[in-house]
Amino acid sequence: MRALLRSLLYLYPAAYRAEYGEEMWIVLEEVQTHAKKMGPLAQTLSFTREAAGLVHGALQEHARGILFPQDFSFIPQRRLSMRSEFRFPKATVALMTVILAAVVVAIDKAKAISASAPHASLPMGPIQPLHYSVISTLLITLAGLGVCGALLWAVLFALHRSGTQRLSDLNPSASPRPGKTILS
Amino acid sequence: MESLPMTEPVLLILLSLADQPRHGYAILRDTLHMSGGRVRLSTGTLYGALRRLLRDRWIERFQKQDNSRGKQAYRLTALGRRNLQTEVSRLKHLTQVANLRVAPRET
Repeated sequence: MRALLRSLLYLYPAAYRAEYGEEMWIVLEEVQTHAKKMGPLAQTLSFTREAAGLVHGALQEHARGILFPQDFSFIPQRRLSMRSEFRFPKATVALMTVILAAVVVAIDKAKAISASAPHASLPMGPIQPLHYSVISTLLITLAGLGVCGALLWAVLFALHRSGTQRLSDLNPSASPRPGKTILS
Repeated sequence: MESLPMTEPVLLILLSLADQPRHGYAILRDTLHMSGGRVRLSTGTLYGALRRLLRDRWIERFQKQDNSRGKQAYRLTALGRRNLQTEVSRLKHLTQVANLRVAPRET
């Protein structure tokens, strides 16, 4: 249970975690220790409440970070180092090159096969409309929405991590918060 | 920005900090106690509210000297105390009005 709660803390934005993560974990540990003394039912209820609270809080913070980036006053100071925290893995370039080469080879092979047997393909009959059932249509729609949502989330996440959407909010003249250096 | 009238969890958090500074878990216990077990804040909700109150400078965070685990404690600022007093006055007025309207019908 504790491991799951700890992992749920990672749903919060990185800057928020850096600011409050450790403190929240101390409180979560105390809450769980107290609930353990009250019995298994209280422990389960406490865990459910805390997990729901963490998920809800993380969603709120992400939404606030996107809608009101100026709220994250501690983030722009970190961006003055001009280092993007979001980086593609080094293997990405090699992997994409391999995929591109595979696609090019597959196209060449297909062209070669097509040229070697120009009349091999059977004549096509009339195209019949597909009969979708309600369930399959619903499933396809849901899958499509899920894919769109995932893509949107990935784009927002990449923007959020790279700080691109906050570049306009950078204020180099702002004084750093106590205990934090500009280049940290 | 936190505004008036404030939500019940925010009011309870501010009331909890009104008499003395407290750390996160102490605020949770105190809000539960003050509400008679009715308002049971989760850690996520508590820190969401604390972050907004810190941003609006209603409360401030400081390191307690007598704490081995390095817990941060929170206390009201002058602005937070003023807003809390305003809210308490508003609630008092509302209670008076409610008493005037409701009490005669009960007797």
